[in-house]
Amino acid sequence: MTRSDPIFRLDGITRSYGPLVALDHIDFTAENNSYIALLGPSGSGKTSLLRVIAGFEKPDSGRIWFQGRDITDLPAHERGIGFVFQNFALFPHLTIFENIAFGLRNGPVKVTEAEITERVRANIEMVGLSGLEDRSPDQISGGQKQRVALARSLVMQPKLVLLDEPLGALDANLRERMQTELRAIRERLNVTFLHVTGSETEALAMGDKVAVLDQGRIIQYGTPDEIYDSPNSSDVALFLNRYNLFDGKLQNGTFRGSFGAVSVPAVRANERDVYAVRYDRTQIFDTETAALPGPALPARFLASEYLGSSIIFLFETADHKTVEVDHHLSFGEPREMTVGQDYILSWDPEQAIVFGKEMAR
Amino acid sequence: MSAPSTNRQKSHSFQLLAPGVVWMILFLVAPIMMIVYVSFWTQTTFAINPTLTLDSWRNFFSSDAYVGALWTTIRLWLIVLTLTFLIGYPAALFVGLLVKSKTVATVLLVLCVIPFWTSFLIRVLAWRPMLGREGAINILLQKAGLIDSPIEVLLFSELSVIIGMTQIYVVFMVGPIAFMLGRIDRNIIEAARDLGAGFGRIFWKIIFPLSLPGVVVGAIFVSVMVLGEFATSGALSGRKVNLLGNIIVTQVGTLKWAMASVAGVVLTILLGIVVAGFLRIVDLKREI
Repeated sequence: MTRSDPIFRLDGITRSYGPLVALDHIDFTAENNSYIALLGPSGSGKTSLLRVIAGFEKPDSGRIWFQGRDITDLPAHERGIGFVFQNFALFPHLTIFENIAFGLRNGPVKVTEAEITERVRANIEMVGLSGLEDRSPDQISGGQKQRVALARSLVMQPKLVLLDEPLGALDANLRERMQTELRAIRERLNVTFLHVTGSETEALAMGDKVAVLDQGRIIQYGTPDEIYDSPNSSDVALFLNRYNLFDGKLQNGTFRGSFGAVSVPAVRANERDVYAVRYDRTQIFDTETAALPGPALPARFLASEYLGSSIIFLFETADHKTVEVDHHLSFGEPREMTVGQDYILSWDPEQAIVFGKEMAR
Repeated sequence: MSAPSTNRQKSHSFQLLAPGVVWMILFLVAPIMMIVYVSFWTQTTFAINPTLTLDSWRNFFSSDAYVGALWTTIRLWLIVLTLTFLIGYPAALFVGLLVKSKTVATVLLVLCVIPFWTSFLIRVLAWRPMLGREGAINILLQKAGLIDSPIEVLLFSELSVIIGMTQIYVVFMVGPIAFMLGRIDRNIIEAARDLGAGFGRIFWKIIFPLSLPGVVVGAIFVSVMVLGEFATSGALSGRKVNLLGNIIVTQVGTLKWAMASVAGVVLTILLGIVVAGFLRIVDLKREI
């Protein structure tokens, strides 16, 4: 199989719980041998989608194709799709070795004892748990449990592994290390990872491709930089948590908002009129400054957050909207500012993204 | 830690333990020692005196009736224990694992306990009109044409004692098992399914081992109660089935304190062995 062949395909998947529609006609095709991040806020249906693909739940309608085969009616234990649970779900009464060997011992295919030992040892080594084989799950740390859960799925040599917020239970330091490691392990094994997360930084950092899920629908699918640089709707921009979004009115190629009227070169179709400027493209000026790169938005300085490589400045506009400015420290020291004082925020209109009901020119 | 503070801690823990220890010595250890002591007393027809002798012990183990009662007790206990497990486990599996709604599970458990709203004796005696010659079961079977003459063995036999005890004690097996099953993380079962295990494999490799502490607790409950039984066997066997409990009741009734004490000591030792044996199967300290 080449990389461009789909590993799995969702065909109009719908699933509802009573009146609540969790998945709404999802069509999705995933490339083989890739890392796909599925980004969505809580309640967007991402866990439901994963459970439907794994076979723990049946879709109300639609078909699931996996390696060219329709698996919609196949029970979970015959699908050959790996699943890593958010709480790891290790078998508490079995040792680490036996946890990882479980699928080989109890799965559909008979495996000889010698092969079990060899494959389990190889996987334990790959995830870096050598020496812990005889421990029980309550004797190891969270990061180690995560590795056991991963090894337990990978030992079955699946072509697709579903990870349900796999890093959610780890502390920040470990999370970053596991991010790199997950990517490295996947590249070595020629498998597709579908990684569900509510964190936009995680999704952008890890995915070869990112799918954005909202209210049971995939609203955008693309590479991380496509998603980041050109969100196709104001909802995607909102989830990315990197854009200041202003409501306003778009008419005849001009957007009117709290910052005045700006002429707009291009508009993306959207249900509402929204003007989006990235945090790091928003600049701060004194109130007297005459030469602004674009529209002027008066705002009061509230606070700053030091993030190491950059500083986030928080402002409040006259209509009580919080606006964030991200100043990267490689661009020099930030200006001195006084809390509570008014400043002018501005940006280059070329770099703004405008969403609107009206498709201009 | 310095020596005085260790001492103070020690005296603190002693003070905290004291009420419990005193209570247990007064009302558990002392009476048991007393029973052991009395079992060596000399019994005459209408009197008992504290001259030490092994007569009662010799009598107990040389009498077919008493040794027979010991074996009957062990046999009935094993049968009832097996039946409560075979009937109780599937019920617990349903309540604790297969019923998804917590509310429904609670309602079902409460239903299991409803028979306890009536007194123990009524629950036992209620079996008589069910099992008797002219009882409900015989009438139904005859009406259905399945049998020509009533089944005599249903009441006043070992069978009726087994039926009665199983019905009364099965709930003590269901409760602890359902509780342990309810605590199993559903993700663990899904993880096993995802790794390719079918239902049978998941049950034997995951669900059953994880529910074992519940089985052991339930088995201890049932064992302790069945081994000490005398009322069910008395009421449903027409005095044909004699358990150690019945021996004690009869001996106490005829003021044969020494023999009653011997039976009591034998029963206590038997219980001790059974409970210790069950506790060896799982480490309950880990589960609490």
